[in-house]
Amino acid sequence: MYRQGDILIMPVPEEEVPQAVRDLPPAPRDDRGRMVLALGEATGHAHAIAAPGELLRDSDPLVPDHLHLPSGGRLVHEEHAVISLPKGWFRVVRQREYVPGAIRVVAD
Amino acid sequence: MQTTTSSPSRGDVTLAWQATAFSAGPTGPGEHERAETAVRAAYAAAGLAPPERVVWVPSPAHGTIAAALIAGHREALEKAGLQEYTERLAPLIALPGGAGGSVREAVRTLPWEKARTAASSELGPREWAHVWARTGGRLWNQVNDLVDRVRRAIGELAGDDAEATALLRGATLDAVLGQHDAPFLALADHLGRLDGDGHPGDALSAMAEVARNAGWWWPYERIAILSERPAELHRDEPGRLHRGDGPALAYSDGFSLHAWRGMPMQAGFIESLTDLTPARIDAEENAEQRRVMLEIYGYDRYLAETGAKPQQRDSTGVLWRIPVRDDEDVVMVEVVNSTPEPDGSYRTYFLRVPPRTLTARQGVAWTFGLDARDYTPQQQT
Repeated sequence: MYRQGDILIMPVPEEEVPQAVRDLPPAPRDDRGRMVLALGEATGHAHAIAAPGELLRDSDPLVPDHLHLPSGGRLVHEEHAVISLPKGWFRVVRQREYVPGAIRVVAD
Repeated sequence: MQTTTSSPSRGDVTLAWQATAFSAGPTGPGEHERAETAVRAAYAAAGLAPPERVVWVPSPAHGTIAAALIAGHREALEKAGLQEYTERLAPLIALPGGAGGSVREAVRTLPWEKARTAASSELGPREWAHVWARTGGRLWNQVNDLVDRVRRAIGELAGDDAEATALLRGATLDAVLGQHDAPFLALADHLGRLDGDGHPGDALSAMAEVARNAGWWWPYERIAILSERPAELHRDEPGRLHRGDGPALAYSDGFSLHAWRGMPMQAGFIESLTDLTPARIDAEENAEQRRVMLEIYGYDRYLAETGAKPQQRDSTGVLWRIPVRDDEDVVMVEVVNSTPEPDGSYRTYFLRVPPRTLTARQGVAWTFGLDARDYTPQQQT
C-alpha cells in the first residue's frame, strides 16, 4: 500500500480484479502520454505514470479506479517524491474529506 | 455515424472541453469573428438564412434581458427596475419587422437529438451509458452547477418581482449554452462527430466552434445574440467556485457570483472578514457562515488561540475537535506531508472527518474509505 499525497494505491491480486473492470476501455493518456491518476483543477499538478499499462475507470464514481502495470512504473507528482511501483494490479483511491451533508474529494 | 469509442492518439478530449467550459478572459476580435462564422454555419446547417445582425453582449445577464425584450417583456422588466439594461439593449436589437422567432430548436435541439439517437442506437444503451459516463458525465455536475447558479443569479436581478424573475428564468432556458454545452460536445468529440478546429461543417461542429469562442447565445430568425465569456473564473482544487478576495465568477459588465469552496456567499461577506477573532466567529448566528469564518481564519490558529487540546495522537497524525454551537462538532485530523517543502520544513494540513471519529488513524483511514486496521501504507511521499 502506497500513499502519494491524496492518492492511496493498494495492490490487488490479479484474480481479484473483476472481469467487468478488465473489460473497461483504458482511460486516455494525457498529451505527454501519461496515465493521470488524479489532476488538480487549480494547479494542474498531476499524479501520473508514464510506464506501459492501463488505467481503468468505471463509470460509477464510487467504484475505485484500477491500474495495471505489467512491468511496474514510477508514480510522479510535482510536489511529492517519486514512488516506484512494482508490476501488478492496483486499486487507486482518492482522498476525500468530510463535509456535513456531503462528501467531497480532497485538494492536494 | 462513426462508432469508434476511443481514439488514443487525440488524448483526453474531455479535458479539453473541460478547459473550454471554464475558460475566461477577454473575448478578442479573433474569437468574435470565429464565433460569428460558426453561428452562420449553424444556421446554414439547419437550412436557415444567416442572421442579418449579430449582437455581442458582455454577459449572459445582458443576453437574457435582450431575449426577454425580444419576447416583448420590456414593460415587466422596467417595472422590476431593469431599465438600465433595457435602454442599453433596446437599440441593439431593434430591427424593422422584429427579430423573428427563436430558432434554437432548429439550430441546437434537433441536430443534437438526431446525433444522439443515431449514436445510442449504434452503440446500444449499455455502451451509450458508458461512453457518456467517461466523457460528458465527468463534466456534467460541475458545468451544470455553474449554469444553475448563473440562471439563479440572473433571476435575482429582478429583486423580489416574482413575474420578472420568472420571465428572466424562462429566457435563460432559451439560450444555447456555448462554452457550457461542453459535456455534450465532449461526447460528440469523443465519438468523432466534430470537424477539426476552425472548420465548422455540420450543425454539431458549428455549435462546438461557437462554444470554443463564446458564452451563451440566443439564435433568432433575423438576429443572433452572443454573450462573451466571463472575464474571471476562480475555482479550488476540487473544481468548485472559490475566491476569498472578490467574485469567483465575473463578467466584464459586473455581473458576478461570489462563492467560498462552492458555497454561495453574499458579495462582500468574505472581504468583511479581515478582523476575525475567535470571539467574533463564536458570535456569528448563521452556522454555515460560522464554518466559513472558521476555515478562513484557519483551524490551526483557532485551535492555538482558543487553547484547544488534541483529542488523540498516533503515528498517522493528531485528532482535534472543535465544538460548534447549533451544529455538529468539527473533527479534524492534522497530518504532516511526507515530502519536505523546498525550505526543508514539512507542511501540515487539516482534513475534516466524520464527528464520530475517535482516533487520528481512524480518521485518515476514513479519508481513503478504509477501516483503521486496514490502513497500512508501506511508503508515503
